Amino acid sequence: MYWEENLETMNEGALKEMQLKLVNQTLVKAAEAPFYRNISGKKLRTLEEIRELPFTRKQDLRDHFPYGFLRTDLSEAVRLHSSSGTTGNPTVVFHTRADIENWTNQVARSMYMIGVRPGDVFQNTMGYGLFTGGLGFHYGAEKIGALTIPIGPGNSKRQIWFMQTFGTTVVHILPSYALRLYSIFEEMSVDPKKDTKLKSFIIGSEPHSEELRREIEDLFGVRAYNSYGLSEVCGPGVGFECSCQKGIHLWEDYYYVEIIDPETGEVLPDGEEGELVLTTLQREAMPLLRYRTGDLTRVLPGKCECGRVHKRIERIKGRADDMLIINGVNIFPIQIEETIMRTPGVGKNYLIEVKTENFMDKLYVKVEVDKEIFEGTLAALTGLQKKLTEELKAEITVTPTVQLVEPGTLPVWEGKAKRVQDLRSK
Amino acid sequence: MAYHLSIFVENRPGKLEKITKVLADNGINIRAISVASAGEFGVVKLLVNEGDRAFAALREQNITVSKRRILVILLPDSPGAMYDLLVVLSEKNINLEDCYGFVVERKKQAAVVIEAEKYPLAEGVLKEKGYKLLSDQELAAI
Repeated sequence: MYWEENLETMNEGALKEMQLKLVNQTLVKAAEAPFYRNISGKKLRTLEEIRELPFTRKQDLRDHFPYGFLRTDLSEAVRLHSSSGTTGNPTVVFHTRADIENWTNQVARSMYMIGVRPGDVFQNTMGYGLFTGGLGFHYGAEKIGALTIPIGPGNSKRQIWFMQTFGTTVVHILPSYALRLYSIFEEMSVDPKKDTKLKSFIIGSEPHSEELRREIEDLFGVRAYNSYGLSEVCGPGVGFECSCQKGIHLWEDYYYVEIIDPETGEVLPDGEEGELVLTTLQREAMPLLRYRTGDLTRVLPGKCECGRVHKRIERIKGRADDMLIINGVNIFPIQIEETIMRTPGVGKNYLIEVKTENFMDKLYVKVEVDKEIFEGTLAALTGLQKKLTEELKAEITVTPTVQLVEPGTLPVWEGKAKRVQDLRSK
Repeated sequence: MAYHLSIFVENRPGKLEKITKVLADNGINIRAISVASAGEFGVVKLLVNEGDRAFAALREQNITVSKRRILVILLPDSPGAMYDLLVVLSEKNINLEDCYGFVVERKKQAAVVIEAEKYPLAEGVLKEKGYKLLSDQELAAI
């Protein structure tokens, strides 16, 4: 039942003691990175003293791109992951061999917790590449000894063919894509309950409701588990639901967990909702101290029936910042804005709309035609639409639908105008 | 030389109406109109009796409009006239970017409006073949 029984079920006092030791080791390591130079010599006597340290923000990662957080020699890093885009610098994260091993272990522990064993067939429908969702789970599943199918996203008929042909038991999938996939099952007259060996879905990368989880479970005849992670501290495997399905255990031997008031920065007691803040405890290449994840949640009070000591957080409620998650891809409106600003032929005003279509997220970007540049041909307009679509795709990796509208029809440029409308069904 | 007005419009009810209202309010007469759509938006071409005034009035209403150079060719309003014209142009490998027509005098005379990619060449060829091209003043006088 446990991947590492002693680490998962140790008593709280021993865990705290271990965390304090690991935090202090992390402080020594972090001080070797240019960004944390000024914390050199800092040592905590209690875990609570961590509150004396300033927060680290996503903007800090961008501002100190590319090596400001790297404490090791570049030659010790074996992997680089990156967020989308080039606007205001992407978030680039380096991993040493030990970081990859630790990350792999977190994922393996998480998957083992929900019953994945050698003999299972694991189909990974998440994107491989710079996005951490694909490779993170891939390594974890192989570590357990499950047969791993790195199929990646899309091509639903092929997904179903693999599931049927190779007896897939465990699937890693976006919750929205799970619903879409079910509609293809229906189209093909394949009943996932009778015609497949599916037993567990790992769902993550985008916020979803308890109702949606239950719907996925009912449709496929599986149990669906909520996965939590962020690429800044490794990727998936930061936290995971156990078979009780009552909150996400955050692996506290790898992270020190705080919930803060996003406005004041004040640390909140367990049970109160705020922004999740993580301090990495075992990262080698890029330790992060009090990193503000932007994710809103709360720590669930009390012990979990599964016997694990690690704190549980509630499913993510939303974001403290304006980050959008489109089919699992993280996008900041500023990336869209800056792409529009540097594309000639369109005005400064724009409107971003996100809708649910055919179960998936669909991104619309409305821009005004620049009437000073309009030369009067339909070909130039469709060319402009195509060019902006391609520029945006290159920046955010999601293909938007660009809609050209008449000048003066969108909210006026003031910086503060509400430019994002999230019209998705919850 | 002659020109028509090219206007960007969203493909939604009321959009074209707004444009024609501006012209109506300013007492401008429409000779011909054509619409090309690319789904959610399109381009309207308007041939009017007072191009400059129409252009200014539309811009004042924040409408995205530009002037496009055209050739307006008088043809007999009879079978085969359009074919003869196109033979002349295609022989010189002249491509049309836009084309529409209107009747000037029923059963007698029609006009064809073209936007050609090789404008001076097209104009020269047509004049050489004896076609009558209308100027702005002549257009306004129709």
